[in-house]
Amino acid sequence: MAEFGIAAPSVTPAGGTRTTATGKALSVVALRKTYGDVVAVDEASMEIAAGEFVTFLGASGSGKTTTLMMIAGFCEPDSGTITVGDRDVTRLAPQKRNLGFVFQQYLLFPHMTVSENVAFPLTLRGVPKDEIRRRVGETLEIAGLSGFGGRKPRELSGGQQQRVALCRALVYRPPVILMDEPLGALDKKLRDQLQVEIKTIQQELGLTVIYVTHDQEEALVMSDRIAVMRNGLIEQFDTPRELFERPRTPFVADFLGAANFLPGRIEQHTDEHTLVRLDNSGGLIKARRHDLVSGTEVKIAVQPGRLRACAPDDGFCTGTVETATYVGTLVRAGVRVDGGDAPLLRLEVPAGRGPVTGERIGITADPDDINLFPTEQAG
Amino acid sequence: MAATLTTKAPAPPRKLLASRRTRAGVLYALPVVVYLLVLFVYPIFSTLFLSLKNANGSFTLHWYAEALTGVNLSVLITTLRISAETALLSLVFGFLLANAISRLKPVWAALAMLIVVVPHFISALVRTYGWIILLGDKGLVNETLAAMSVPGAPFQLLYNELGVVIGTTSMMLPYTVLLLYGVMRGVDRRLLAAASSMGAGRVTIFRRIYLPLVAPGLASAGLLSFILSLGYYITPALMGGPNQTMIATLINQQVTKENQWNGAAAQGVILLLLTLAGLLLVKLVSSLGASRRKRSAS
Repeated sequence: MAEFGIAAPSVTPAGGTRTTATGKALSVVALRKTYGDVVAVDEASMEIAAGEFVTFLGASGSGKTTTLMMIAGFCEPDSGTITVGDRDVTRLAPQKRNLGFVFQQYLLFPHMTVSENVAFPLTLRGVPKDEIRRRVGETLEIAGLSGFGGRKPRELSGGQQQRVALCRALVYRPPVILMDEPLGALDKKLRDQLQVEIKTIQQELGLTVIYVTHDQEEALVMSDRIAVMRNGLIEQFDTPRELFERPRTPFVADFLGAANFLPGRIEQHTDEHTLVRLDNSGGLIKARRHDLVSGTEVKIAVQPGRLRACAPDDGFCTGTVETATYVGTLVRAGVRVDGGDAPLLRLEVPAGRGPVTGERIGITADPDDINLFPTEQAG
Repeated sequence: MAATLTTKAPAPPRKLLASRRTRAGVLYALPVVVYLLVLFVYPIFSTLFLSLKNANGSFTLHWYAEALTGVNLSVLITTLRISAETALLSLVFGFLLANAISRLKPVWAALAMLIVVVPHFISALVRTYGWIILLGDKGLVNETLAAMSVPGAPFQLLYNELGVVIGTTSMMLPYTVLLLYGVMRGVDRRLLAAASSMGAGRVTIFRRIYLPLVAPGLASAGLLSFILSLGYYITPALMGGPNQTMIATLINQQVTKENQWNGAAAQGVILLLLTLAGLLLVKLVSSLGASRRKRSAS
């Protein structure tokens, strides 16, 4: 398969209703959906700017797909409003919303050729034949599918089929394109490749995309902002960097950063830092300044990659290396911390001077990399 | 050289094995071959010869000429017309029924299919008499219409073409519903949702997505009921009048009343050819459609 090159500016598919790269593309206010007693989506609200790539990230049952289906119109919300541009579409049928949708199962029309599939939404809009041919050709070229127009969907590979589905969803330049785990049915290598392709096309054409996935890495690679969802609630809606470095809940810290958690109690505040006394080792740890009152029970959260090994007793705690796995540039180590209920801390340190099994090491971290959560918030 | 040597060495036993397999294969195929020869090839060819034979045993096309002129020709045309009407009606009703059933929950769909198919296992004779009772001047249909004081009631619903078509359509319905239901169940409903996400309304989705996807089923169901109607005997004979004589009835008359086997054979061959022509037509139409689609795409 030809690699997707950066398309020359001249092949940008001319679109009638392309929204400008500023301004609001879509907003969702207090969207709620219940199935019997189960709350699938609970008062979800967000605003998505034009040209933004937003991902709903969560495990199955988190409400991410239900939210997408409500935006698409395949599922009716109990309450709340959905606005596309300035138009309230909450109670509109899917075909009246003028959105694009890419399904996990591609869902190309089997009785039509690739070209006919891509042309289908344009014919619905009464676009003249010559222009249809031109736009279909341009769109297929962007997706690296030139020359495949005459084939039937069944003659294409999964990756190619999903590219066609993508073309079909963007050829009529809908203000927002929704994607429901579009790469879920593909193997890892193809998925990585298509992630980059989709992202490049999105940036190239300034598309507004809402993407649903359960794959953290995929979300981090592709998104401008990610809405982390759990049990129907949006836990945090932020840029990948913010989510990674400033998680607002322990769940986000764990889900995206696979963070280590240690219980402790706030000892005191300085101008820049908050000092936390760890429960098990009794060590003091410096964390980012936090507004919690002294004495509050907290959990500190720090990602494996942000912990550093140091000489015993130099860090905030000391422990014995139980496992050390060499994974190329990194060594993943499990360190059993001294004292108390002896939690296992996971470290990722550069492979060069990695710890070895059985070694006693101290553990330290930059105060800025340490997040605090009050214990009652812990989930 | 080495290659030829190694292939040469095991060749004889392999050949032996192959021939043994062939012999076993012939043995296994024998019952089928005999069955086909005795019950299929022989009758067809003897009918063919019969239709081409004069009273004194010489070759003639007289029986075909007779079968394609006068009353016989009009019977043939009637047969084709009634079969076409039946095919069309059973397609329409079959489509509506199958479409409704395919939207039901599986349990209800299974029950509905049972209701559609079970009458098929009852003798056609019994069902035909059932229709005669229903459609007669004092039958349920006309009595009901009269009770509702519909002008013109009672209607003549029997012993005319309407009666025949009602009867044959009801006989064909299980076939068309079964065939169409299978095709419709195979249509991925999410394709329709995908079309609506792109802005297609219900009519467009039906016309451009659903109908093309079930089209092969429509073609085969229509053809099947047409072919089955061509040779249908009981229902047209009992529910039609003299003007609705169909070719099967004619053949029966020739054999049982006139002892005219040669003419009957010629008409049988014509019936067979019509059936084959129907099959060919559908094949042609579908391949034509496919090539047209291919051309327009490139």
